[in-house]
Amino acid sequence: MSESEQLHDLQQNFMNYVLGEDSDMVDKIESTPALSAKGRLDIYAYAYKSRLKEAITTDYDKLHGYLGDEQFDTVMERYIEKYPSHITNLRYYSISMSKLLSEEAPFNQIPVLAELATIEASFADSFDAADHRFVTVNDLAELAPEAWATLQLDFQKSVQILAMEHNSFEIWKALSDEETPPEATKSEQAVMWIMWRRSDLVSRYRALAEPEYEALKLAKEGENFSAICEKLLDFFSEEETPMKAVGFLQSWIEEEMLSELRA
Amino acid sequence: MSRPFLGFGLGLRTDHYQHVIEHKPQVDWFEIISENYMVPGGKPLANLDKIRADYPMVMHGVSMSIGSTDPLNQKYLQKLKQLVDRVEPHWLSDHLCWTSVDHVNSHDLLPLPYEEKTIQHIVDRISQVQEFLGRQMLIENLSSYVTYNNSVMPEWEFVNEIAKRADCYILLDINNIFVSANNHHFAPRDYVDGIDSDRVMQFHLAGHSYNGEMIIDTHDHDVCDPVWDLYEYALQRFGAVSTMIERDDNIPAFPELRKELAIAEKIARNTLSKEQLQLSNHSLLQGVA
Repeated sequence: MSESEQLHDLQQNFMNYVLGEDSDMVDKIESTPALSAKGRLDIYAYAYKSRLKEAITTDYDKLHGYLGDEQFDTVMERYIEKYPSHITNLRYYSISMSKLLSEEAPFNQIPVLAELATIEASFADSFDAADHRFVTVNDLAELAPEAWATLQLDFQKSVQILAMEHNSFEIWKALSDEETPPEATKSEQAVMWIMWRRSDLVSRYRALAEPEYEALKLAKEGENFSAICEKLLDFFSEEETPMKAVGFLQSWIEEEMLSELRA
Repeated sequence: MSRPFLGFGLGLRTDHYQHVIEHKPQVDWFEIISENYMVPGGKPLANLDKIRADYPMVMHGVSMSIGSTDPLNQKYLQKLKQLVDRVEPHWLSDHLCWTSVDHVNSHDLLPLPYEEKTIQHIVDRISQVQEFLGRQMLIENLSSYVTYNNSVMPEWEFVNEIAKRADCYILLDINNIFVSANNHHFAPRDYVDGIDSDRVMQFHLAGHSYNGEMIIDTHDHDVCDPVWDLYEYALQRFGAVSTMIERDDNIPAFPELRKELAIAEKIARNTLSKEQLQLSNHSLLQGVA
C-alpha cells in the first residue's frame, strides 16, 4: 500500500467513525487515563453533528419556530443522515431541505413545511446573490423607438419566482413578526410569488397576478418585448396590451429587478 | 527575520459589522473568515468592502483541507484567489489539518498523524497552493483531542518541518497549544520553545470550555489566565507578533471584546520594548506576504 493510500485509509476510517458508519478507528488512537480512544473520537462525532445542526438552524429559523425544538431536531437528524456534506462552504449545506420535506414521510404530510423551507432558502439565495447594476427609468427613456419590439430584459440574479400552494408566506411573515402563525390552508390553485433584492440590499417579495407572472416568465426566458405583448393578448384587449406591458416593465425597473435592457 | 508587525486585531464577525462601520473603533486590523465571503454578492461583500476601506485585513480559511488525500479543490482555490484580489490581505492562513475525504466534508479541523510521509504530502500541497496563489501562506496549529498510534514526533516538530520545507509561515494559536497540551499531556511551554521563531507570523488567542478532563476549543469564553501567561511567554520567545482574538460563540458586544484585546496590548507593552512594538509600514508588509 502506498503512503498516500495509508493516509487515505486512515482518513476514511476516521470519517466513517464521525458519520457513525463501520470503523475500527478506536484501534488507531491512543487511550489515556483521562479519556479512552472512543471518548476522544466521540468528541469529533458529536462536533460533526452539532456543527451541521447549527448551520441548518441558522438557515431555517422560521421552520424551526413553526415545528418547535423537538420536531425540528427530528428533521435535522434525518437531513444529516440523508445528506452527508459534499460541499466546502457550510452556507450551502442545507439547500436540499425543501426536497427532503416534500419527498419524505412524515414530513410531506404537512406540505407547508417544504414551502416554508423554500421561502427561507430563497431568502438566503437572494441575500448574497451576485451584484449587478440596476436599470433606471432613464435607461428606458433613452431607448430608440425601433428598439422596443426586440427588447430583451436581464433580471437581477436575486430575482426568484416561487410557486406556493399554501398560505406559506403568511405563515412565514407571522413567524418573522413573532406572532402566532395562521392555520395552514391550501389555495385553489398555486399562487406565484416573486422575491428579489433591491439596491438597499434588503430582499422583498410580493404575489404575482397571472398576467404579470406570464410576462415575467417569458422575459426571464429571454423572450423579447413583442413576444411578451403577444402573450398578454391572452389576458387583455389589443388596445390595453401595450400599456399593460409597458406598465409591467416600468414597475420592474422601479422595483429594481432589472440589470440590463438589451436592445 | 524582520517580521512584519500589524499590531493587535480582532476576528471580524457579523454581530459587530454595524458597530465597526458606524463607530470605526480603534483596532489595528481585522481577520476575516474567508469562506464567509465566498458568496456571489450582497451584504457580506458590501460590508466587507466598507470595513476593508478603513482597516488592514488578513484572511483566515477553514476549508482548504491541506492535509486531505482528496485532490486540492481547484474551485475553492479559485474563489480564494478572487477574494484575495478583492481584499488584498496582508496574508492568508488555513489550518494544518484535513476536513474532507472522498469528497465528504466533516466541516471540522481534523488532526493528522505526525510522521514523515504526512509531512511530504502536505509540503507538496502547500507548495501547489502557494504557486497557484502567487504568495506564501500561513498554517495554523490545531486544538486536538486524539493522538494517532503512528505519530512519531511532537506536533511542534511536525509544524516546523512543514513550514521549513514548504517555505510557508506559522500562525501560532496560543490557546490551541494550551488546549492540546492539556488533552495530550505535554508542557505548553515546550511547544512554544520548540517552534521555529523565524516562521511565526501571527498569534491567535481564544477562550475554551472544559468537558470533563478534556478541553474543547469552543471560542465561546474570554481568554483565560493560563493562556495569557502562555501568550506572555510566547512574546518573550518570539518578540512582537501580530496578535488577534477569535470569538465565535457567545459573542459579546464589540466594546467588551475590544477591552479584552487591550489585555493583550498591555501584556505586550509590559513584555516588549516600544521599538519592538513599532507597527510595520505598509510597503514592508506588501513585500513580505
